[in-house]
Amino acid sequence: MSEFTISRRTVLAGSAFLLASTALPTIGLAQTPRKGGRLVVAADSEPRNLNPAIVASNGVFFISSKVVETLAEASFDGKDGLDPRLALSWEGAADGLSVTFKLRDGVKWHDGKPFTSADVAFSALQIWKPLQNLGRTVFKDLEAVDTPDELTAVFKFAKPTPFQLIRNALPALSSVVPKHIYETGKIEENPATNAPIGTGPFKFAEHKPGEYYRLEKNADYWVKDEPYLDEIIYQVLPDRTSAASALEAEEIQLAAFSAVPLADLDRISKLPGLKVITKGYEGLTYQLVVEINHRRKELADLKVRQAIAHAIDKDFVVKTVFLGYATTATGPVPKNDPQFYTADVPTYAFDVAKANALLDEAGYSKGDDGKRFSLKLLPAPYFNETKQFGDYLRQALAAIGIDAQLINNDSAAHIKAVYTDHAFDLAVGPPVFRGDPAISTTILVQSGIPDGVPFSNQGGYKSDELDALIAKASETLDTAARTELYKAFQKKVAEDLPLINVAEWSFISVVRDTVGNIANNPRWAVSNWADTYLAG
Amino acid sequence: MSPLCRFLRTPEAVAGAIILVALFAMALTAPLFFPRDPQAIAGPALLPPFQDWSLPLGTDRLGRDVTAELFHGARTSLAVGLAAAAAALVIGAVVGTLAGFAGGLVDEMLMRITDAFQTVPSFLLALAFVSVVGPSLGVVVAAIALGAWTGPARVARAEVLSIRERDFVAGARVIGMHPLEIAFREVLPNALPPVLALSSVIVAAAILTEAALSFLGLGDPNRVTWGGMIAEGRTVLRTAPFLSIVPGIALVLTVLGVYLAGEGVVETTAVRRSLS
Repeated sequence: MSEFTISRRTVLAGSAFLLASTALPTIGLAQTPRKGGRLVVAADSEPRNLNPAIVASNGVFFISSKVVETLAEASFDGKDGLDPRLALSWEGAADGLSVTFKLRDGVKWHDGKPFTSADVAFSALQIWKPLQNLGRTVFKDLEAVDTPDELTAVFKFAKPTPFQLIRNALPALSSVVPKHIYETGKIEENPATNAPIGTGPFKFAEHKPGEYYRLEKNADYWVKDEPYLDEIIYQVLPDRTSAASALEAEEIQLAAFSAVPLADLDRISKLPGLKVITKGYEGLTYQLVVEINHRRKELADLKVRQAIAHAIDKDFVVKTVFLGYATTATGPVPKNDPQFYTADVPTYAFDVAKANALLDEAGYSKGDDGKRFSLKLLPAPYFNETKQFGDYLRQALAAIGIDAQLINNDSAAHIKAVYTDHAFDLAVGPPVFRGDPAISTTILVQSGIPDGVPFSNQGGYKSDELDALIAKASETLDTAARTELYKAFQKKVAEDLPLINVAEWSFISVVRDTVGNIANNPRWAVSNWADTYLAG
Repeated sequence: MSPLCRFLRTPEAVAGAIILVALFAMALTAPLFFPRDPQAIAGPALLPPFQDWSLPLGTDRLGRDVTAELFHGARTSLAVGLAAAAAALVIGAVVGTLAGFAGGLVDEMLMRITDAFQTVPSFLLALAFVSVVGPSLGVVVAAIALGAWTGPARVARAEVLSIRERDFVAGARVIGMHPLEIAFREVLPNALPPVLALSSVIVAAAILTEAALSFLGLGDPNRVTWGGMIAEGRTVLRTAPFLSIVPGIALVLTVLGVYLAGEGVVETTAVRRSLS
């Protein structure tokens, strides 16, 4: 456990506040957010690459969304569910060939240079489109970004691109990075990949591997008086039980992303000074998915995939692995999505006898030892629940005569094994649904994605019908017609099982009750925390 | 007084022997009492111990039978402990005998290699080895043996150094036996007892190392291990502490049993040797 030395500055800041509080005794009672303070947060992983423009994933956003901002952020009550950030307004042309962004004036990068439309153009064309895990699909037809003046960026698309999709993509995909930092040398090897420079309310200060990340206040932030916090420390606590004890010992004030094990929530919620919060993750639905390597001849057979789907007791998974903090899944779009979800898809009830019959039909009969064939099963190590589901899946498969051998890896090795080397038969993955199937979901089944793109279809699955549906939906401008296409997509995925959707869940934060302005947007944990404060 | 009587006179040795016998019984009967895969789901999740007599020690996070896991875990712990110790003793005895008997450059080389291994903490060595090669039972055994053979090698060499000067070795040379034959058929058997005395310490250490590796997630995930059980129980330590405590107690008792019984055997044989 690392300790933070008490710097002269924090002591001074602390004593200044003490003085202020004695002079104005009512200050503590007021509801206005207090300035200053250090928020210590549990971080369960240390992403290698902190550039959110390249790796659009929550592990990266959790830290770098405070440093690097997007054009817009998700919002509970904003128009189309969005709040302006670096862009003030956005407008799509009727022909779907262009989108015009008006940018915020007076924004400065952390190194003092002004933020302009050139940065947006550079980020979009040089990073989002060619390099970003999600941007490669959403911005694939982006041809040019015109910058008529410093505060206007016009995205030009080669083919009609639905404005609905661009809007839904803004919160996660539009991290703007400085052109003047990235234009020299290879973008992936730029030093700012590990020490990001942005326009956000916090500056990246340091990373001590295995100990902590430190962000410090950006005094020049474009919102006057924000951020309230002086510092955010991400204390690396890879061990999940230690997050709960660290909260109790007041070593940390916030454990987001369900860092506290579900099994402990009941106990923790009864402790004074700690709150359990399930809000603030509405825009981040995780899906528990069995990824399948279709290069294995057994798994290329639809009957085998159906048998596996029938062998999984989804209710058991929700009840036992997630302790009820999840729902069962029917297909690739989660049930809580208001725009696209359809229940009208083939379902696979838990039925071991049927699963066995399907496997027999497929020609894989049981050997003398009761086993049909062996598989390598790689559970993603990011969550307790994915690991536990891996243990469960091994048992579920044993019941139908499939001998699954578990292989445990750390995050880096898991990503390499599954998404680059394809050294898996089945993998348990937690992809995120980000409000539009085109952003994060179609990539899981679409073919033709280069090796090494994390959280994409690396199982060698190819269906011309699904590829065509995905392509058509990506250029359909009419919202209703587009929605219908995605309903057909869900049906086809559930029918053909390129992967098996098991459950959907979101996160839970446990927080000290002194932390204010939390969970105030649907992506709060990965938003910029400019208005978060610590009460006295 | 026979050695067995002397062994039975020492209470620690008897306690150790009882624990070991119980442990071996657990390991051997595991497939009889719990023929199913011990990792199969047997009941409701997180059932506390002594609630349901068909699941006397309760169930874990997924509803797996803790008793079955404990019995099958004993198999893994003992198998790894014994195999690793046997491997370490064999490697150590061979290296020590060669070094001691050959002397000169061979001795120098082998002992410097031994030094090199001794300078690296054996647990680190095992950790590095398993993370590179990948966790499976055989690899874990090899990894533990890799860090444990140096002790036996040094003891064997010291014994061999004194034995090789004895008359019967000179006699063997005179009748024209091949040096390797002398080393392994005449010298090694006489050098073995003090080397074997190390075995209890090595077995105990091997069982602990295996548990530590599993605890860190570097054990074979497809087998029940006590270390793995403790690691899994750790996530619910505050809510269901028995999940870590039960295998923890088993581990303590095992190591204690191995150690006590080993000491007893050493004491007994030491008395016999000094008498003769």
